[in-house]
Amino acid sequence: MIELAYTVTAWMPGWMQAIAIILMKISLLMMPLLLGVAYLTFAERKIIGYMQVRVGPNRVGPRGWLQPIADSLKLMFKEIVIPSSANRFLFLLSPLLAFAPALAAWAVIPFDDHLVIADINAGLLYVLAITSLGVYGIILAGWASNSKYAFLGAIRSGAQMVSYEIAMGFALVGVIMAAGSLNLGQIVQAQATGLGLFSWFWLPLLPLFVIYFISGVAETNRAPFDVAEGESEIVAGFHVDYSGMAFAVFFLAEYANMILIAALASLLFLGGWLSPFDGLPVLGPLFDWVPGIVWMLAKMSFFLLLFLWLRATFPRYRYDQIMRLGWKVFIPLTLVWIMVTGVLVVGEVGPWFGHGEG
Amino acid sequence: MIVLSDYLILAAILFALSVAGIFINRKNVLILLMCIELMLLAVNINFVAFSHFLNDIAGQVFVFFILTVAAAEAAIGLAILVVLFRNRRTINVEDLGSLKG
Amino acid sequence: MGIEKFLFYFFAAILLVAATLVITVRNPVRAALSLVLAFFASAALWMLLEAEFLALVLVLVYVGAVMVLFLFVVMMIDIDLAQVKEGFSRMLPAGIAVAVGLVVVMAVVVGPEHFGLEGFGEVPRHGADYNNTRELGMALFTTFVYPFELAALILLVAIVAAIALTLRRRPGTRHQNPAEQVAVNAAERVRVVKMAAEPRDDAPVPTAEPGESKEEPR
Repeated sequence: MIELAYTVTAWMPGWMQAIAIILMKISLLMMPLLLGVAYLTFAERKIIGYMQVRVGPNRVGPRGWLQPIADSLKLMFKEIVIPSSANRFLFLLSPLLAFAPALAAWAVIPFDDHLVIADINAGLLYVLAITSLGVYGIILAGWASNSKYAFLGAIRSGAQMVSYEIAMGFALVGVIMAAGSLNLGQIVQAQATGLGLFSWFWLPLLPLFVIYFISGVAETNRAPFDVAEGESEIVAGFHVDYSGMAFAVFFLAEYANMILIAALASLLFLGGWLSPFDGLPVLGPLFDWVPGIVWMLAKMSFFLLLFLWLRATFPRYRYDQIMRLGWKVFIPLTLVWIMVTGVLVVGEVGPWFGHGEG
Repeated sequence: MIVLSDYLILAAILFALSVAGIFINRKNVLILLMCIELMLLAVNINFVAFSHFLNDIAGQVFVFFILTVAAAEAAIGLAILVVLFRNRRTINVEDLGSLKG
Repeated sequence: MGIEKFLFYFFAAILLVAATLVITVRNPVRAALSLVLAFFASAALWMLLEAEFLALVLVLVYVGAVMVLFLFVVMMIDIDLAQVKEGFSRMLPAGIAVAVGLVVVMAVVVGPEHFGLEGFGEVPRHGADYNNTRELGMALFTTFVYPFELAALILLVAIVAAIALTLRRRPGTRHQNPAEQVAVNAAERVRVVKMAAEPRDDAPVPTAEPGESKEEPR
């Protein structure tokens, strides 16, 4: 694959070839990602539909499969209304500020062994730093709209995202301690201890795993933590004044973030591209032929299903309860489990710890 | 070839800009706080540059501590600002002449 | 012009422009956003200096948390812009004079004759296996472990101070206690009262009168 890219671009001078190859890699990642986002919206409507004993969208195309295309075409051709008292520059800038970090974080996500755009040392830190920027898009959107509802949604969401980032960061600290590395590829490698799915970090770090995923749901402002939108209270929250493509960009950012959280959760706690039967007696060799990327995508799909399932199941949290959950439940729990992880790492307990460079 | 003095002069200009910012925005506590952040940033650039060119990690450790202290300073500064605004309805430095809280 | 030189001048220019915007724009929200841009540019410069951990921490802590705090405060506080900006043009010459003076003096000290090519010229780049995070962690947890603990203490004090300063309970507002609400059980919610059946009067029943209800208000 990569050799092909080099032969096609062989006529270019060195620097140009490097840039062309990077651009190729980026587009190879971005196109499936954006397509995935489009069809995630479709999957959401279908799955929630079936959960509520409806059929979901089934009119556009065979069994509704062209629905996302129709939606995106509709959004593209709609007018972008800019409120007359809005801060025009920030109003148009904020969807981009929400969208860009959601895409930029994908640069360090590996899909298979070394199948990654940028294999950097501090990969996890990079993801954390980049995703912490997503909050600007939302805060500025709410502020620039110059509307009460939008501003309330923005304030709610800003405080919520900053709070849950702490719990999320602490959960990641546990993973970093267990793996002894910030590089996502090495974190996955540290989970390959030959016990199949029992050698992954979800087992020794179970509380952190649960907290990470719930914080991820809260980070992306998804139900049941979607008070930033809160349709029944503040009509649609921070993007109440957005329409057309500007609204669609927020939508894309939210779904790209969901997929990102799913990818991170599978990498950090479910062994990324490793087979769940790796090293097990009979099943291991039986499933050896499956390429790693299939496992990775399967795990991501599992988490995405969880996102949708949560939305279909739970009513919205009240705002003070969200904050209480984040600050008074999750943060103390993660702190305690970081201590436990420290003890486990020092004591080289089980198959998970002790093989790393201490 | 980028040498140490380039980074140092850059940091010096940044520092001077933030000092000028304190002069011309001397009524707005919020901008004053931002200027202090800029100053600390200039200092940090110096530390990182020295750390790189002398190949000594201690400079970066120092930056780490400055970041910590500056974050604490910003948090407390903003908290004081909020309390101030709550009591006085202004953040204009000239209106804050009273010592009584 | 090498790629490194280009990147340095590019990000240095962004940094200086952003810093100028911070001190000159009218709208404090714009100023905060310019400060974000300045932090970003300097993070990029630190990457050039092989301090990748600190560059990422700068983005994470400053851009991701501290500046969000700034933006919150800026947006919540209703500043009288005209009043705050008064005296801007009067102090501008003084500010420029001080800035230029400072730059000249400092450039003499830190200029190329002291920190130039000789002595501080080319530094060999670390290899691909150099791990800045590991190096920093090694220094931090061995040589500098006491300062590290002190820094943690300072952060704790800052948390306590910030909360103590801004926490207030307005008298008269109603608060829910989520912990109490979560801990409630069925027995506390419903009280089943046993009572004898009352004989029905022939008189018309007083309908829809908001009389005293049986359940206890919680």
